[in-house]
Amino acid sequence: MIDWDRSRWSRLNDRIVESTTLKDTLTTPDYAIILLYLVGTVWIGVAIGRRIKTGTDYFLGGRRLPWWAIGMSLVATDIGGTDIIGVGGAAYTHGMAVANFEWIGCVPAMIIAAFVFVPFFYRTGIYTVPEFMERRYNAGVRTALAVCWLIFMACNLGIMLLASAKMMSALFGWNELACVLVTAALVGFYTLTGGLAAVVYTDAIQCAVMISGCLLVTGLGLYEIGGIEGLRAQMPDPEQTQLILPADSDSPFPWPGILFGLALILSPAYWIGNQAIVQRSLGAENEFAAKASYVWGAVLKNLIPIIIAVPGLIAVVKFPELADGDQAYPMLVSTLLPVGLRGLFVAAFIAALMSSIDSYLNSAATILAIDIYKRFINRNADERRLLTIGRVTTGVLLAWAIAFALLLTLLSEESGLYAIFQTLMAFFQGPALAILLCGVFWRRATGIAAFIGFIAGVMFSISLFALTQQPILDWLGWAPLFEVSEPFLYFSVWAFALTVALIVIISFLTKPEPKEKTRYVFGQFKRETSEVPA
Amino acid sequence: MTTTPLHQIGASIRDLLVLVPLPMVRVIFLALLAAVLLWVLSLPRSETTGPTSEGRSGANLKVGASIALGMQLVIYLLL
Repeated sequence: MIDWDRSRWSRLNDRIVESTTLKDTLTTPDYAIILLYLVGTVWIGVAIGRRIKTGTDYFLGGRRLPWWAIGMSLVATDIGGTDIIGVGGAAYTHGMAVANFEWIGCVPAMIIAAFVFVPFFYRTGIYTVPEFMERRYNAGVRTALAVCWLIFMACNLGIMLLASAKMMSALFGWNELACVLVTAALVGFYTLTGGLAAVVYTDAIQCAVMISGCLLVTGLGLYEIGGIEGLRAQMPDPEQTQLILPADSDSPFPWPGILFGLALILSPAYWIGNQAIVQRSLGAENEFAAKASYVWGAVLKNLIPIIIAVPGLIAVVKFPELADGDQAYPMLVSTLLPVGLRGLFVAAFIAALMSSIDSYLNSAATILAIDIYKRFINRNADERRLLTIGRVTTGVLLAWAIAFALLLTLLSEESGLYAIFQTLMAFFQGPALAILLCGVFWRRATGIAAFIGFIAGVMFSISLFALTQQPILDWLGWAPLFEVSEPFLYFSVWAFALTVALIVIISFLTKPEPKEKTRYVFGQFKRETSEVPA
Repeated sequence: MTTTPLHQIGASIRDLLVLVPLPMVRVIFLALLAAVLLWVLSLPRSETTGPTSEGRSGANLKVGASIALGMQLVIYLLL
């Protein structure tokens, strides 16, 4: 998801206390379910891997992927294992407002993307969003965006591996290093073997397992407290069931951040410009399937807060004295679910974390192979060569992710490096959306303007982030620039605005782009093309 | 603690946003969702239907999109 709680990931395991862990409550049937799920996932990866013969097969599933699998994959990719625990915890602590990230922070943008941007990208025949940037602007814009995504994804892979391992260690009592290595081996195996197709089909299964497991927790929890009416009647603070909170609320989710930062900037940036998200729609069997996948994903998205946020509210009623909200979900699982079904929840948790890691691994490999190798090293690479490069880059990225996860374990969590790595996406999402929208909808936008605007926007985001850090504020003697505790929603708004302003000003000062660039402006390209990729 | 022009701009915007009553904010959220729904419903059929194949009429994505957005409208109306 668009992670409001990235900075909390690394702290999670320290705060899930021993009394709430599931390690003592898992039995043989639970482990049997977990094993069945893992074996099934790997088997699918192997089966699909046998049919992979070319680079297009590997990076875009041979453009044969069905809409229903892509839609479920979109949802599964968006929800990581740590999100299940973290969102439930946030709902326990801050109330239902956290559901905005899955509702207004996803559904409208997904629907607009389905009918405007997804068919547009599909018709261009691109592999990556940065690739589109070169067609519309120039190689500089493509490379700048590709490097940003690559740094983010490569770092995020390590962070996801470590955060998930820490949580598994805390919840189930498993060895942290073993969790990192086993997760990496499993995900790496089927991603390296089967590419995007394996990722999408396993994600679809993971989505079903995740929804089933979490739905069970929600259903049993609601039954125990007398249904929705019982939940409403027993909530100590009615504001906790509210989605829209005042601008001066103490919560991290006041309405201006949700509306301007999330719904209007970060959400479209994520669903339109995130390579890990867009790539699977480019692998659809046709343009209609690409659109349908996003619509299906949007329908499913309506369900997600009900299964991951509502349990946090149920826990408020059942366990009002928890020291930390992140104990809420594990506590419900260990007290509500009978033997065997706890294994289903653990499988759901593992499914959620694997579905996010595999997607970022595959997309990072695609950027490395298409935007770096094919663009700068071997422009004539054929399909078989690209397949080899795709597998090699996947392996290299996996090794890097393991090494980075292990390196992070050596760093002090107070060093500030965690926060920087975990906020990386917020630094460039606003500027990335600005260059994309200007390029797609404004013929006069030029490559030089987009490049300068993007770099300046990213620098501006980083500056705003710096101005929220206490040591820098102390050094400057400044009061904090933002009063809200999680101000990254606002970084994106200001960085987006600055980037658009710079693109407009500099575009008018520079020479207009030639026709081969401006043909990628929305209306013109739509007129020029049919459903056949250009 | 020093305050800069940036702090003053931020404070002014914050003060303005605090004045907006929550029922009005709810209307804005609902209007945003309703606008997207109306836009979807106004799309030409060619943009929302799939290729027809032997004896089967193409599905219309307006149905799925309307369900997704309709559920959102109900949710933001009630919560």
